[in-house]
Amino acid sequence: MITFKKVNKWFGPLHVLQDINLDIEKSEVAVICGPSGSGKSTLIRCINRLESIQSGELYVDGIPVHDKKTNLIDVRAEIGFVFQQFNLYPHMTVLENVTLAPVKVRKMKPEHAKQIGIELLEKVGIHEKADSYPAQLSGGQQQRVAIARGLAMQPKIMLFDEPTSALDPEMINEVLEVMIQLAKDGMTMIVVTHEMGFAREVGHKVIFMDEGQIVETAPPDDFFDHCKQERTRLFLSKILTH
Amino acid sequence: MWGIYLHNLLDSFPFFLKGLWVTIQISALSLFMSTVCGFFLGIIRSTRTRSINIVLAAYVDIIRGTPFLVQIFIVFFILPEWGIQLDAFTSAVLSLTIYGTAYICEIVSGGIQTIPRGQTEAAVSSGLTWPQQMRYVIVPQALRPILPPLVGQYVLMIKDTAVVSVIGLTDVTRVGWFTVQRIPEGILVFGLVGILYFLICYPLVWFSNRLETMLSTEKSGLG
Repeated sequence: MITFKKVNKWFGPLHVLQDINLDIEKSEVAVICGPSGSGKSTLIRCINRLESIQSGELYVDGIPVHDKKTNLIDVRAEIGFVFQQFNLYPHMTVLENVTLAPVKVRKMKPEHAKQIGIELLEKVGIHEKADSYPAQLSGGQQQRVAIARGLAMQPKIMLFDEPTSALDPEMINEVLEVMIQLAKDGMTMIVVTHEMGFAREVGHKVIFMDEGQIVETAPPDDFFDHCKQERTRLFLSKILTH
Repeated sequence: MWGIYLHNLLDSFPFFLKGLWVTIQISALSLFMSTVCGFFLGIIRSTRTRSINIVLAAYVDIIRGTPFLVQIFIVFFILPEWGIQLDAFTSAVLSLTIYGTAYICEIVSGGIQTIPRGQTEAAVSSGLTWPQQMRYVIVPQALRPILPPLVGQYVLMIKDTAVVSVIGLTDVTRVGWFTVQRIPEGILVFGLVGILYFLICYPLVWFSNRLETMLSTEKSGLG
């Protein structure tokens, strides 16, 4: 579904992605963790070319995203992206946030899009706020709307960039529950997060990144209990102790 | 003394209204055109495409760095030397549009740049094209920072239309010039001219202040 082949990226002199090789299968849930500045956000932002790569190949569902000639609109329509800061459109209601792209990109009829939008808002447990504005919602609610907005395009892939990092602790679970349900429904997901409970429960593989490299990739149980690399062990000891 | 002058002034009042009508026509046309062009160029300028931006920045700097009086002279007296003949009315509207567009372009691109990057990223990620991102996501939000200075700019431009009298257009200022030659009481004549400008501009000033409070309360309280 998603393939990285020797992908490299620099920000000026900074080599943020170094020879990344990665394969994500359909319906696979991959969790990426690592210290800040390790390139994990950059890695998933390359998948829908929010960031472009400088060398290597990157395929999404067989489409070469690294190729300058590729029509990115089609690629992006198939990928839902959830941001750390939610990035809901503040001038639109919750329902309008969810229906904008289906109507404008997929050319869906507004009534049809609304119907799907309401269903999705029900799915994330927030349909009673359909006519509210984002600023009237809590962080957890906003992030659930953002997930519904991503799902409204009926994407093949959902990408999550630290979806719970900006949330108050008591709101983290309501967002994780939605993501867990999504994973169980068979969505292909890449999640940048330090929520190791989530990784254990629904993750198929955990990827540890440091200094622009993928240090270790393993199924969750192996990853947490018998990691092979010293760097991974050090990182885990830091985040799992509290 | 003033009694007779007032009487004469009252007799000339239809003449003043005619002049005012010219002022209003020139203002309305040039405000409309510079708003359209200003938004168009401002949106393009906000993309920070290097090559286009060098040209736009040069245009904006030249217009903002030269007096409007000189600009209108160039359009009215110098263009004909290159074979472009324009009547006074067209010259006035054209030069005001060129002048207003530069300022509005800056107001619009400045407003757009206050919108957080995440908004563009969310719109890009959902597959919206660049015009769709601008139309549905960025510009509607940017109106909040754009509108108050925009209306302020309208007021400045309406007042700047007084300059068009120098190329022979009988706007309300030039009517004042004519009248003061018959009624040598400047304070009376130009007092009336001033009042007429004030009557058009004040509602806009009021509206601009109103917008500012409305938009700022909306921001905190959310409407």
